[in-house]
Amino acid sequence: MILRILTLLLAALVIGCAPLLLDDGQLSLGMEMLVTFVICAMWNVLAGYGGLVSLGHQAWFGIGGYAVFIASNALNVNPLWLLPLAALVPALIALVLTPLLFRLKDAYFAIGSWVLAEVFYILVQRSDALGGITGMPLFTGGMLGASIYAQVFWVAGGLALAVLVLSYLVLRSGFGLGLMSVRDNEVAAASIGVNVRRNRRLVYAVSAAGVGLAGAVYLIPNYFIQPGIAFSADWTVIMTFVVVIGGIGTLEGPILGTLIYFAIRQGVTDGLGLSGSWYLVALGALAVATMLMAPKGLWPILRDRLHLDWLSVRRPWPGRPDRAPHHQAPAE
Amino acid sequence: MDVIQIERLEAFYGDMQALFGVSLGLRAGETFALVGANGAGKSTLMRALVGLVRDRRGHIRLGGEELIATSPEQIARAGIALVPEGRQLFASLTVEENLQMGAMNRRRGPWDLEAIYGLFPVLRERRRQMAVTMSGGQQQMVAIGRALMANPRVLLCDELSLGLAPVIVSQIYDSFARIRAEGMSMIIVEQDIERAIAVSDRMACLLHGQVTLRVEDTARVDIDALSAAYFGE
Repeated sequence: MILRILTLLLAALVIGCAPLLLDDGQLSLGMEMLVTFVICAMWNVLAGYGGLVSLGHQAWFGIGGYAVFIASNALNVNPLWLLPLAALVPALIALVLTPLLFRLKDAYFAIGSWVLAEVFYILVQRSDALGGITGMPLFTGGMLGASIYAQVFWVAGGLALAVLVLSYLVLRSGFGLGLMSVRDNEVAAASIGVNVRRNRRLVYAVSAAGVGLAGAVYLIPNYFIQPGIAFSADWTVIMTFVVVIGGIGTLEGPILGTLIYFAIRQGVTDGLGLSGSWYLVALGALAVATMLMAPKGLWPILRDRLHLDWLSVRRPWPGRPDRAPHHQAPAE
Repeated sequence: MDVIQIERLEAFYGDMQALFGVSLGLRAGETFALVGANGAGKSTLMRALVGLVRDRRGHIRLGGEELIATSPEQIARAGIALVPEGRQLFASLTVEENLQMGAMNRRRGPWDLEAIYGLFPVLRERRRQMAVTMSGGQQQMVAIGRALMANPRVLLCDELSLGLAPVIVSQIYDSFARIRAEGMSMIIVEQDIERAIAVSDRMACLLHGQVTLRVEDTARVDIDALSAAYFGE
């Protein structure tokens, strides 16, 4: 436990000091890495622990971004202060839509979530008020001043650490155990009193909120939001590939996957000088190879080889009878 | 008064009706056996009692409380626990985590981890092991333990002996004496008629979704009548 806290403090220190040492370009790349980790971690919580494979998570990325851009322009307020909206709006929309979406199971859910994302994409594209296909500027961008990259980097860093700590705590709790039980065996979970539907709605909404936050943080320093970028299916492609390569259903997997993703991207684009989307081809090839040769991803292999057990959520039972007194049996 | 009263219970899978007006009562502290051929509706009855078959009509009363329209999680909290056919353990969880899952509904009672480990000592030795990597008999112990952890008022056991060696089945049924000593009321589904007769106080035979025979005292079973009820002659 002490090791974990020390690592966390070290990470916080590095993120805190980085803007003193890095230039804007490097900070921008660093922010992108942190944001990528966040969306991948949120997708992993949903797919790897909740058993819900969403192929439409770009919807929340875009909605989070648009929520902050619209509100900031309308209220003339610093967009960073409005970030809570980037979590709240996606979460609320997700909660409203889940009764419909959860009628679909497994592969149908995956496709259904994708269709939903496309619907949002098209709606925004068709909306003249939101600038349609060309998008809209962030008029309040100037409020952030010259240190915008440092500010956004810090926010992204704080978000990444928060996601890591909260996922760890939640997954170790009774709720986390309930979540994993639903993924393992829905029928058995229901029969011992797990509220399957409520658990899934909650984790879906939290996942949407995290991705929405990440989307807003990523888009703010562009001073401009475009539906083609905000709702790009590439975001979900990156989430799935990174998580599959890193290790689905482990907290460390998205960290490792994100590092590999950026190593490949920088290596292919800068190192080999191959422009465009060639790095995505390389990433896809690695994902396929991983699925064939190490279906659990690379982190479990690394963990077993090196005997690491940094963020495993194997837990002592934290169940306290005071948690839900109204569930207790009447005196007999 | 009966712990569970089942009255004119009907259950459906889509357009297909699987139970046709089943009425049964379970007395406090007794073990009640359900026998019948494959497809007779025994498992459907169990699943309907815990709400896993949602399309059902009639009455299911637990201590007078009507449960016919309640969700599986509410029924679990009300105090009916099922040891499902095929065990249905959680594949990514350890033995201990599987057991702890049973305590999700936080009912109070005599069954906690210590009590389960007392009942099945081998589970204590293996509590950090992934549950599905154990032998079938040990997995069945986890499934029973998980259901007991809920401290139910009624324990339902669906085909405990499925796919297990006879000697293992005997070991598992030996644990029933301890469970009964805690005052548990149980309904068991069992393919092995002799064993069903041996462990139960009363029994009923199902055929085509209906009760074809009730045995009020399993010490005096008319084998010919049971055979007729079983095969529908």
